[in-house]
Amino acid sequence: MNGGDCPSFVLVVDDDTDLRETLTEILLDNEYQVVGAANGQEALDFLRGARDRPCVILLDLMMPIMDGRTFRAELMKEPRLSGIPVIILSAHTNMDEVLADMEVHAKLRKPVEIAPLLALVDRHCKDVAAPSQS
Amino acid sequence: MKSDEARPSGLVDVAAQAFQLLREVKDYAIYLLDPNGIVLTWNEGAHAIKGYTAAEIVGRHFSTFFTPEDRVDGRPERLLDVARTKGRVEDHAWRLRKDGTRLWANVVITAIHGDDGELQGFAKVTRDLTERRIADEMLRQSEERSRLLVEGVKDYAIFMLDPDGYVLTWNAGAQRIKGYSADEIIGQHFSLFYPPELNGLGHPARELEIARSVGRYEEEGIRVRKSGERFWASVVISAVYEPGTDQLRGFAKVTRDLTERRKAEEAMRSASEQIDLERLRTEEVRSALKARDEFISVAAHELRTPLAALLLKIQSAQVLAGKQSMNNDGSFAKLSERLAGAVAQIGRLSDLVQRLLDVSGIVAGRLTLRLEPTSLSELTHRVVDDFRDAAATVGCEITLTAQGAGEGQWDAARVEQILNNLIANAIKYGRGRPVDVRLEENAESVRLFVRDQGIGIRKEDTERIFDRFERAASVEQYSGLGLGLYITKTIVESHGGLIRVASAPGQGSMFIVELPRLPSTRPADHASSGRRAL
Repeated sequence: MNGGDCPSFVLVVDDDTDLRETLTEILLDNEYQVVGAANGQEALDFLRGARDRPCVILLDLMMPIMDGRTFRAELMKEPRLSGIPVIILSAHTNMDEVLADMEVHAKLRKPVEIAPLLALVDRHCKDVAAPSQS
Repeated sequence: MKSDEARPSGLVDVAAQAFQLLREVKDYAIYLLDPNGIVLTWNEGAHAIKGYTAAEIVGRHFSTFFTPEDRVDGRPERLLDVARTKGRVEDHAWRLRKDGTRLWANVVITAIHGDDGELQGFAKVTRDLTERRIADEMLRQSEERSRLLVEGVKDYAIFMLDPDGYVLTWNAGAQRIKGYSADEIIGQHFSLFYPPELNGLGHPARELEIARSVGRYEEEGIRVRKSGERFWASVVISAVYEPGTDQLRGFAKVTRDLTERRKAEEAMRSASEQIDLERLRTEEVRSALKARDEFISVAAHELRTPLAALLLKIQSAQVLAGKQSMNNDGSFAKLSERLAGAVAQIGRLSDLVQRLLDVSGIVAGRLTLRLEPTSLSELTHRVVDDFRDAAATVGCEITLTAQGAGEGQWDAARVEQILNNLIANAIKYGRGRPVDVRLEENAESVRLFVRDQGIGIRKEDTERIFDRFERAASVEQYSGLGLGLYITKTIVESHGGLIRVASAPGQGSMFIVELPRLPSTRPADHASSGRRAL
């Protein structure tokens, strides 16, 4: 985990270490605080214990221990957490079908281009609250 | 005898009485001939058998009773000669009645000599055996027919054995099946037809024993031909008894060669085993294909995550290089350019991975359409514009002709795939010559024509190119997985449309896609098409 004391940060939930670190790197470059989690359970544990909420969650779908879909369902049960915007990053071919009954704010298919990704994150984070400067 | 006067001696009296009796005999013609064959006496039997009265025939030559052929042949004289020299002659032959009809006669002629040895004449006794003759003849003919029938049968060996098992008769079937001629086998013991191991066990003798005790023995088993070759035979042995007695005359044996039937049964069995094997093989192939598709799906899926990381890394490097190039001598600009090249390659890699996933999804039946009002004209304009740069780099000009909006209920993303695939192919195989894209529409459907003037396709390849991993062009010259047209065709058909190609080597190709405005063959999943990401 990459720390998360700041009021506005991005939570990256992906079991692939390389991708998680690359996303972190890019977001840090763009002056976001980042918290990484390797699966849904880890992310949920973090959120339940954390004082602040992330401005957006980048969520992978297929993960061990707790997958993205279960994580999203757990999140929806907790009023404090259910409102956090969720952006799905998935390698699923038929993502539309998989996500048909899942409430998400955006979905991007892997491999993701940097520009649309940053644009989406910006939209959710910069509009809600100015990203904290480290 | 009533007369007292001129009473002859006792002996003469007896003779006269006997003569009188003979005259009254009705079943035999008994009469006397003189030495030349002239009829001297006549009895009732002669009248009944031959039809002449005594008045009519006495005094006439006995050749009257003979058939014209026999008369010409001198048979009457010959018989008398024999009787004269040997004392007696017997004849079985046809004779004539007075009315011209024939009778089968048994004739005995006995010479009568006087005390001095002089020939005095002949006694002739004739029996009418016509009825018996006819009955015999019928029996003979019937036996002859049966014999001929049996002899002529080729499919069955039918022969008789004597009570001890020696061959008495032989037919054509027996010769064909067993290989022996009648001359070779008649008189031989039938154990010759058995393989040594069965003979050793006393099998032939046991068969006869059973046939003798229960009347019949039946089995299927191995027999041996004259050549030594073994064959599978069906055998029936029946005991034959003297009619009306329990006297065993022998055995009738009927043998059938079942080799052909057995071969046919074996062929059938092996054919059915073959079919089972084929089925198994087909299942193996099917499950191998399924495993392959699953592998492709998983592999493509797994490739995406590192691709995602790679793309992001390079793009972030690009961003950094871009920032640096502002205040630099130009080396960062070069770096930017090269990173852009790397990004383009990642794009290609992503496309390939996407195609593999598309295909494995299509194979697994996961192609679901999200139908929505779509303008094919709008889509085509966009795709053609996207391709313009790529086309220009190979010196190819794309023209688009479209009248109307070309609207229908389609899955826009999938239809875009059709356009992408066909136009990319036209550029790839178009040898830099112009590519024409044209849209036509009528009330029911919209047609898309994509025409190039490139290498073209051989006629025998035009069906194959729509199959998975198939391609008409050589792998060495043109890269790709050979999936584009397969995916295209699947999408077109799932919309209830048609795809055709007209082409000739060196003449370019024209792909024609017809999409019905309202797809009907595979209704799409409307329920899930409404939800969109926020």
